[in-house]
Amino acid sequence: MKALLAWIEDRSGLGAALRKCADHPVPGGACWCKVWPCTILFAFCVEAITGFFLWAYYSPSAQTAWESVYAIQHQISGGWLLRAIHHYTAHVLLALLIIYIVQMIFTRTYRAPRELVFWLAVGMGLCALAAVLTGDLLPWNQNAYASTKTRTGFLTFLPAIGDSLLRLAIGGPGPALGSHTLTRFFALHAGLFSGAFLFLLILHAALIRRADAQQADAAEVVVPAWPSQTWRGAAACLIVVAAILGLACQHATTDLHAGVALGSPADTNPANAYSAARPEWFLLGVYEFSHFFPGQRQILPIFVFPGLVLCLFLAMPWIGRMRAGHYFNVGVTALLLVAMVALSYRSAAHDAADKEHQKALADEAKLADRACQLAVAHGIPSTGALTLLQNDPKTQGPRLFQQCASCHNYFHGQDDDIVAEKPSAPNLWGFASRQWLAGLLDPKRIIGPDYFGNTKFRGAEMVGFVKENLADLDKAEQKDLEKLVIALSGQAGLKSQWDLDAKDAEILKAAPKLLDQFGCTDCHRFYEKGSAPVGPELTHYGSREWLIDIISNPADKRLYGKKNDRMPAYAVEKILSDRQIGLLADWLRGEWYEEE
Amino acid sequence: MEPPSPISCCCGREPLGKGGTRRSFFAQAAAVIFGAVGLLVPTMVGVVAFLNPLRQKGQEGGFRRVASLGALPEDGRPQKFAIIADRVDAWNRFPNEPVGAVFLRRIGAGVQAFQVICPHAGCSINFDAATSGGRFFCPCHAASFDLSGKRLDETSMSPRDMDALQVEIRNNSEVWVKFEDFRTGTPQKVTQA
Repeated sequence: MKALLAWIEDRSGLGAALRKCADHPVPGGACWCKVWPCTILFAFCVEAITGFFLWAYYSPSAQTAWESVYAIQHQISGGWLLRAIHHYTAHVLLALLIIYIVQMIFTRTYRAPRELVFWLAVGMGLCALAAVLTGDLLPWNQNAYASTKTRTGFLTFLPAIGDSLLRLAIGGPGPALGSHTLTRFFALHAGLFSGAFLFLLILHAALIRRADAQQADAAEVVVPAWPSQTWRGAAACLIVVAAILGLACQHATTDLHAGVALGSPADTNPANAYSAARPEWFLLGVYEFSHFFPGQRQILPIFVFPGLVLCLFLAMPWIGRMRAGHYFNVGVTALLLVAMVALSYRSAAHDAADKEHQKALADEAKLADRACQLAVAHGIPSTGALTLLQNDPKTQGPRLFQQCASCHNYFHGQDDDIVAEKPSAPNLWGFASRQWLAGLLDPKRIIGPDYFGNTKFRGAEMVGFVKENLADLDKAEQKDLEKLVIALSGQAGLKSQWDLDAKDAEILKAAPKLLDQFGCTDCHRFYEKGSAPVGPELTHYGSREWLIDIISNPADKRLYGKKNDRMPAYAVEKILSDRQIGLLADWLRGEWYEEE
Repeated sequence: MEPPSPISCCCGREPLGKGGTRRSFFAQAAAVIFGAVGLLVPTMVGVVAFLNPLRQKGQEGGFRRVASLGALPEDGRPQKFAIIADRVDAWNRFPNEPVGAVFLRRIGAGVQAFQVICPHAGCSINFDAATSGGRFFCPCHAASFDLSGKRLDETSMSPRDMDALQVEIRNNSEVWVKFEDFRTGTPQKVTQA
């Protein structure tokens, strides 16, 4: 054994190298204030380790990026924690670098012989920033997509080279980001910026050692780094880990919301663009600052001022040679920090008070939950998770109903209400349900705003019929009317009434008799009855097919014919596709997947 | 050339303890333990995630309806049928895709079923009708089997006979097969799940 160790030592010099490392002099003695480089190295190691394991599962393309992160988040054991650690460590690393740089400025450590040490720290900060910003896109969710689209769009502010830079950044002519944006962002994130960071980190460590050795000669107190400084550094790293774990587990550790929110899959359709994207904490100040510069002048807060500040930082070691210069450096840094904090606070406060912004956030959270629900229930098709949402009536219904909401309400006093600006057609919430039909056949309510009150049918045959024949009914007639409602509503076969319909199967069977008895078939066609229709056909009234037909073309002679009020023929006029009309019909009927 | 500036420090000037071996021991232990714990946490999380495939279950091998009895020749000649099922690949699910195939063969009133996968190296076995009476033949390494799935060759490359599958006839006309994949290359028939 001893011989083996001696052989290894002889051939590698490992022990000597370690000893040299351990004995490296710390001028001024061990101190908690010198732990920052150690924690930065540590955070980088955590990123490299967790990054490798994420790499083993991640797939950068527009159809697989969100999906593979979904798998990491929800299918791989501990995947959510792995991702959360990687995410939060990146932010902690950036925070540590800021602290380290500010400390070097405040304690005047950037002076000779440490000018390059300081420069390298600033360079590491820039690399970390770039790595965080490129990594941000990789989950390919709505927030990442919108943020990156905005950020890469800033490149066009740059004169002459802006457009070319944008193409290079997003890997194509744009304007939409796509698979090539992901492949190059992934390469930049995991290859270039991480590699550059590592290179600067090694150089930085080497120059620290060199500077320590130079200063050790003049220092009163000198101790070897091992173990007094090392254990402090290690303890600080442990605190960093604890902080990261705390952040990672702040929401939950078990359900859909464990770790870092995945969001909903990126939608490249500009109509569905996410409006609530905000930069991360370290850029929030710049974001708010840029609001003071409208239009083309945004180049100032986004490129010119940050560029000048960077130049100033790089010049600080020389400015700081004079005492006054040092105070200037400290003053400028403090001012910048205070300004950033104040601007960030202003931005956050503004968003917190902005109802539109809060609604966009809440909608996105709902969409994200829905995407996961559908992915768990159905698996993800090869076209990607966005397809799940695009074929989901619950998601698409409210969006498509915006077409209808210029006249129709969808209102039942809940938070999913859609209210028309000027309601001028029936309220379609619960259309064809027992409740809805009971209202239609109520002499008072049929001329109310929820039914024909604001339409040209207000004075037409149906209203006249209901007013004349369905008012002042005796008890037996009242009972029969209830049966009529049940029977007609049964034609729709609504999911919400399956149980009720099964219970009232007898009444449903008597539908032809009931419709005859009340004289409905005098005006409406019902199966083979009613040959000269005045109003819409009632066969399968409210069913998927019936709804598709009326949305497609309400002026069809089976339906309203020439009497049609203002409703457009959505299929005939090609306003909506057949698929969209189907989704709308399903949504109006409450027919969509719900978790058990 | 500017001389190195004196080091400025906010706090501790810990003198070198001359007899402080105890203190030094605790400091060394702390450095090693803190550092190790710090790095082990993310590493372990990563390793657990990386080893996830070891905990994943394969697709369920339940009974599936494969063919109707009428589709099988009376004379006992084997026919190949695809197994249609939902295929799962990582996060994707592909509904109703061929996920495998079986040979079905009538024996009197009953039906015999075999995996088409050769037990040797996982190639796909063919039915060779040209040879007298017919035989199963694997083109990869020339393993041949008789109609009941037995190895014809004593020095066959295949370590075992063809893998028979459980069959149920339901409603007098539907052939249901319990479709399973088996490990290749072993003398025993071991379900792969």
